[in-house]
Amino acid sequence: MHEMSLMAEVLRLVEEDAFERGFMKVDRISIIVGELSNVLPDALELAFCYFQKQECSLISEKTELAIIREEAKARCKECRKEFDPDYRIALCPHCQQLNTEIISGESFQIESYEGSECFEDKNGR
Amino acid sequence: MKIKMDDDVLKDNNIAANFNRTLFKQNQTLVINIMSAPGAGKTTLLEKTVKALAKEFKIAVIEGDLATERDADRLRALGVKTIQINTVGGCHLDAKMIAKTLPEFQLEEIDILFIENIGNLVCPSGYDLGQDYKAVILSVPEGNDKIPKYPLMFRRTDLTIINKTDLLPYVQFDLEEAQRDLRTINPDAAFLALSSQTAEGMEDWINWLKKAHTHAAFSQN
Ligand SMILES: Nc1nc2c(ncn2[C@@H]2O[C@H](COP(=O)(O)OP(=O)(O)OP(=O)(O)O)[C@@H](O)[C@H]2O)c(=O)[nH]1
Ligand SMILES: [Mg+2]
Ligand SMILES: [Zn+2]
Repeated sequence: MHEMSLMAEVLRLVEEDAFERGFMKVDRISIIVGELSNVLPDALELAFCYFQKQECSLISEKTELAIIREEAKARCKECRKEFDPDYRIALCPHCQQLNTEIISGESFQIESYEGSECFEDKNGR
Repeated sequence: MKIKMDDDVLKDNNIAANFNRTLFKQNQTLVINIMSAPGAGKTTLLEKTVKALAKEFKIAVIEGDLATERDADRLRALGVKTIQINTVGGCHLDAKMIAKTLPEFQLEEIDILFIENIGNLVCPSGYDLGQDYKAVILSVPEGNDKIPKYPLMFRRTDLTIINKTDLLPYVQFDLEEAQRDLRTINPDAAFLALSSQTAEGMEDWINWLKKAHTHAAFSQN
């Protein structure tokens, strides 16, 4: 849907941090994309390729994108058991009660990035 | 060198949403974010709601559309202060777009602010705008299977409104199944069925709004 603007936001946040730390290159970006986040990994990769070709930033064709998929998991608040939710997110498959919480799968996060070629390094620090 | 971030990609949206929320609370403005597929009847319901409540409440509207001022003009025709946001291709409203419009309102005078989101059952539910409640409209001709097909939208909203119930005799739509499906996805959500055209069921929606307004007014500070 809007993976183009989401990828732009990822790069903006990474570059802001990288500039602050004095990096001149970003070699790798790792992001976490939950199964319940409505974000499509393939579309993100496509958007990333587009930005790689812009060559006006710390990101280049050599920068790698790692997408870590986070599985959808829910837990029943009645019997405390965990389960893999289908569309009936609130329905516990163990005790059939309707009282559950999503415990993973909703994330859309920048986990980490790798920066190199610090300004400081060049000045012999 | 590896730098650990663990940052939410939408963190700036969440900051803007909290900014909006603070302003809404300070001004005791009840804010409802209304979402649906294109054409489910968001603007029509708002027109009917304004007519029903104009004497009791001061209402304002933010209209989200890809293009045109058409929906905003429909509400302006009723004397409602309305700001149109055109996203020019964007598939949802975000909290920053809302924040930018707020200086144009006199929030301290507004009791209820409705935000009509972009017609889309996928993206809008992922963006907190700072609202008190999120409502989703599903219209009868779309079919009740849209609830299980778009579970995240229905999971993330406080109220599901089935609209165009005047069409129930003509199209396949199982109201009971819709309610049952909703419970397995979001048992805490309120469920209303109405027709904006015939006004059948409108009083349930009006009562829900009045209750929400009272609740918002008492939960200040
Ligand atoms: N039969 C019937 N038609 C309705 C009802 N409510 C709305 N409509 C019609 O549905 C069509 C779309 O209504 P809108 O209110 O413009 O829908 P919307 O959700 O605001 O549409 P977008 O903003 O374009 O996404 C119009 O032709 C309305 O007259 C209803 O309760 N019954
Ligand atoms: Mg509309
Ligand atoms: Zn259980």
